[in-house]
Amino acid sequence: MTTPIVVGLLVAGGTYLLLQRGMLRVVVGFVLLGHAANLLLLAAGGPALRGVPFAQEGLDEGTADPLPQAFVLTAIVIAFAITVYLLGLLRAGRPGPEDGGGTPPPGEEDAAAARGGRGSHRADHRGDPEAEGWT
Amino acid sequence: MILVASLLALAVLAALSPLLARVLRRETGYVLAAGFLAVAALLLTEAPAVLDGRAVEASAEWLPSLGVSFALRLDGVSLVFCLVALVVGALVMAYCCRYLGEAEARGPVYPLLVVFAGSMVGLVLADDLVLMYVFWELTTLCSFALVSTAGTAAAGPGRQALLVTVAGGLALLTAVVLLVVATGTTRVSEILDDPGAVLASPLAVPVGICLALAAFTKSAQLPFHFWLPGAMVAMTPVSAYLHAATMVKAGIYLLVRVSPVYASQDWWTLLLLAVGLSTALAGAVQALREHDLKAMLAQSTVSQLGLLVAVIGVGTSTALAAALLHTMAHALFKATLFMLVGIVDKQTGSRDVRELSGLWRVMPFTAACTGVAALSMAGVPPLLGFVSKEYLFEGFLSADVLPWAGPVAAGLAVAASALTFAYAARIVYDAFGGPTLQARLRDPRPAFLAPAAIAAVAGLALGPAVALFDPVVRSAAAAALPGGDPPEVYFWHGFGIELALSAVTVTIGLVLFLARDPVDAVLHRLPDPWGHRGFDRLHAGLLALGGATRPLDEAGGRAGHLARPLAGVVVLGGAGLLAAGALGPAAPRTTDVDPGEWLLIGLLAAGVLGAALTGSTLVLVALIGVVGLFVTLWLLLAGTVDVGTTLLLVEVLTTVALVLVVHGAPSALPRSGRGRRLGAGVLALAAGAVALAATAASTGRRERSGAGTFFVENAEALTGGTNVVNTVLVDFRGVDTFLESVVVGVAALGLLALRGRAPVRHGLPDPHAHERSSVLGLEDVVLRVSLRLLVPVMLVLSLYLLWRGHDEPGGGFIAALVAGTAVVLRFLAGEPDGVRTERGRALLEPRLLAGAGTLLATAVGLAPVLTGGALLTPFDVPGLSAVGISSALLFDLGVYLLVLALVTAVVRSLTPDEADPREPDHPDHPEHPAAAGRAEPAAAGDGSAR
Repeated sequence: MTTPIVVGLLVAGGTYLLLQRGMLRVVVGFVLLGHAANLLLLAAGGPALRGVPFAQEGLDEGTADPLPQAFVLTAIVIAFAITVYLLGLLRAGRPGPEDGGGTPPPGEEDAAAARGGRGSHRADHRGDPEAEGWT
Repeated sequence: MILVASLLALAVLAALSPLLARVLRRETGYVLAAGFLAVAALLLTEAPAVLDGRAVEASAEWLPSLGVSFALRLDGVSLVFCLVALVVGALVMAYCCRYLGEAEARGPVYPLLVVFAGSMVGLVLADDLVLMYVFWELTTLCSFALVSTAGTAAAGPGRQALLVTVAGGLALLTAVVLLVVATGTTRVSEILDDPGAVLASPLAVPVGICLALAAFTKSAQLPFHFWLPGAMVAMTPVSAYLHAATMVKAGIYLLVRVSPVYASQDWWTLLLLAVGLSTALAGAVQALREHDLKAMLAQSTVSQLGLLVAVIGVGTSTALAAALLHTMAHALFKATLFMLVGIVDKQTGSRDVRELSGLWRVMPFTAACTGVAALSMAGVPPLLGFVSKEYLFEGFLSADVLPWAGPVAAGLAVAASALTFAYAARIVYDAFGGPTLQARLRDPRPAFLAPAAIAAVAGLALGPAVALFDPVVRSAAAAALPGGDPPEVYFWHGFGIELALSAVTVTIGLVLFLARDPVDAVLHRLPDPWGHRGFDRLHAGLLALGGATRPLDEAGGRAGHLARPLAGVVVLGGAGLLAAGALGPAAPRTTDVDPGEWLLIGLLAAGVLGAALTGSTLVLVALIGVVGLFVTLWLLLAGTVDVGTTLLLVEVLTTVALVLVVHGAPSALPRSGRGRRLGAGVLALAAGAVALAATAASTGRRERSGAGTFFVENAEALTGGTNVVNTVLVDFRGVDTFLESVVVGVAALGLLALRGRAPVRHGLPDPHAHERSSVLGLEDVVLRVSLRLLVPVMLVLSLYLLWRGHDEPGGGFIAALVAGTAVVLRFLAGEPDGVRTERGRALLEPRLLAGAGTLLATAVGLAPVLTGGALLTPFDVPGLSAVGISSALLFDLGVYLLVLALVTAVVRSLTPDEADPREPDHPDHPEHPAAAGRAEPAAAGDGSAR
């Protein structure tokens, strides 16, 4: 009976963080929502069935359902993959030395604009209030 | 067999044509023409049976679970349309040899034309609704691609043609689905054999309307006609072949094909008569208003297609025979005229009749051919077009859906034909008659003119010899309408009413041609019936609607974007809970609560609340790790050894990754405004409450699933493994696991792409590797030395976990995470990229690991398929099974490599740059806006990293 409380807690926390400013909170909110989804999936196997599913342990009435466990196991790894990918995006959005360290000196602006793509795009983002705190 | 061979031959021809074009260049067309004729001859070997009324069939399973088969069937109707597609195709291919330039000949035109011919033959041979639909859409796509070869000018008209015909394709798809629902089969011949089954169904009328819509769009009937004149931007061979002779006849074919079901229905007859005859008249009028020869021909095609649709609507055997005969006659004379107009265009540089005059003196052969073909179109004896028009009149006269329907329909057909005579005469006279303006022009080389000349002469010879078509048309009409009595096809009908109608047609046509100025005056006062403006308005309206939704979508920034689906979840969840109503009590066993759980929940709640409210980067990262550990504990309490272990390792690695990313970041998180915090709080509480209620309502109300019980009971016997979760992963649901591992590998590659790093080459030290690591300032000697001992132990442990995973807690995921943790620890101790040697760096290259993992898992999965087994069936690995290495272990090793690829990618791509904090743009610089307002910027910044 306690699983719903944990799921509710994690969903509330994750939702709140997703809606805050800064990408880092969004990533963390995503992690919390991932935990909630995994627990919900696991609970689908029956929250009270808690015997480890090993053939050598045999099957009794308390043996847990292995199918949701397998789902959750891969889900955890995929959630990890997505989390680190989000972190990669977060890191890529952060001003770094490969961007030329900021605004190009006068005269080089046209060249930077001509190069197009990432450099000039990021320069735009720096003025964007949403992107102001990259964390 | 012949049917399959014919389609295969066309497919092979299409595949070979680009190669042929390299060697033969534009002469390729002759080879392709010969190929088309050979395929036609191949099909004709079955003609005796077909003409005898016996259809030839071939069928192979395609999608047996849906009852869809690759079924082909050659009957009289298919034969007529196959011959049209292949013979006209051969003429056009031969014409291409002189029409196309060398560069165009090596381009996509030849292959696309052959693919189109194959699709067209497939469409008329298909005896399965789904197969027919596939070929139908293929002809549409070929048409679009061929129109697009005309360059940027073709973009607008090409898109228009595509959208209209694809919309018709969707109507056909709807009809196919409804037909399958109504009859329970996808076989065309079975459905047509039992028209009563369709007609008794309430879906009969919707199916009929969808079929008619499909045919109307494809065959350019009002109000969808406008795409066909637009498609004239395509090069002339494409217009001659697709947009005059064949593709636009696909709609005609469809209407003929379904005649056994719908011909007896009065609404069908009225619909087709009304649409067909109004299209015939409107097209003919518009042809008279054009000045461009090609545009005149395009409008003429619209008009002739209208006549065909109308006569099919009449639905008697006579009418269907007339439709089939006229289909052949029209394909012949219209393709000829298009080819000749192409010649005029190439020789003179213009197609505008206002600029052309008196060409007969300088281009006598072209003029003669055009004259013959135009006379056929105008329906003048003794040409083929005359005979087919006589049959059309006979067909219209046989209409009996309403009193006077026959005479009225025939009268309108006479009117359209008189207009046809008039514009045919104009085409010939305006271009070739009158004073000669350009004296230096000449006829083209014989090879250029030959295909059109052959077709023109054929139209002349086949008029008196039309009896040759008698067996084909009669067998086709008999196949199109079983039980009917198709008329005999012969040249001279005597002095009957049809001849009188022909005479009236020619007379009115002559008057219309001679009284040119008054006719033009009247015509130009008629309203423009052409609906492309309507289409353009609709198209622009749709785009504007899309544009209008944009501001809604943009409102609120990122949080606004995320809030909408979250609010949607709350609403959906709430509605679901209300809809479910009161559920029975949970199973009694689920009420067991370990008192320890409440403590855990309290700690978890504190952690989540702290993470939500903290303003410090460091605290957030720390708390998120703590929450992860509590969730892990929870999982272990729930009896999930493997899952708990996995999450524990993942939490460690996530925390490391977070630390790497926030290194050098401002120590304070950006503050949200009060309004945002309030809104987010309300939504968060609602989402949490709904999630809580939904979880409580939907779990704990049933026993273990049947599948789960089966796995626990049979895992050891079926797979040899005793760790049931692992057997589910690598054996029972191996395909899931494989694809999920590939997702992990893709994420690894994505991370590297985000970082923009080139792969490390063998023996070449990465110049930045050391900086990336040392920038963290981690030169912990104690850690480094102890790791010398620890890392080998961890790697051995990792391999042991992998090896035993099938029976004990462990497996590819966990083992890879352990190895990954070793790499990360080494990295934290200051080793660049977490490896000590260059060889290790090359080996632990994420791209290499991801590729090797994918290949290994794929190979292990596919190996049983070679011996006829199912994907991922366990098998004995030769030589390795003796030492306890099973195919499941090899598969798990593939998973292992993919997960390890992700962890190494994290180490290599999330590491901070060697940024110089002295630059003002660096976030740690005191003057940086993000650092302003912090009490101790530098110290706090460093603290967050360690």
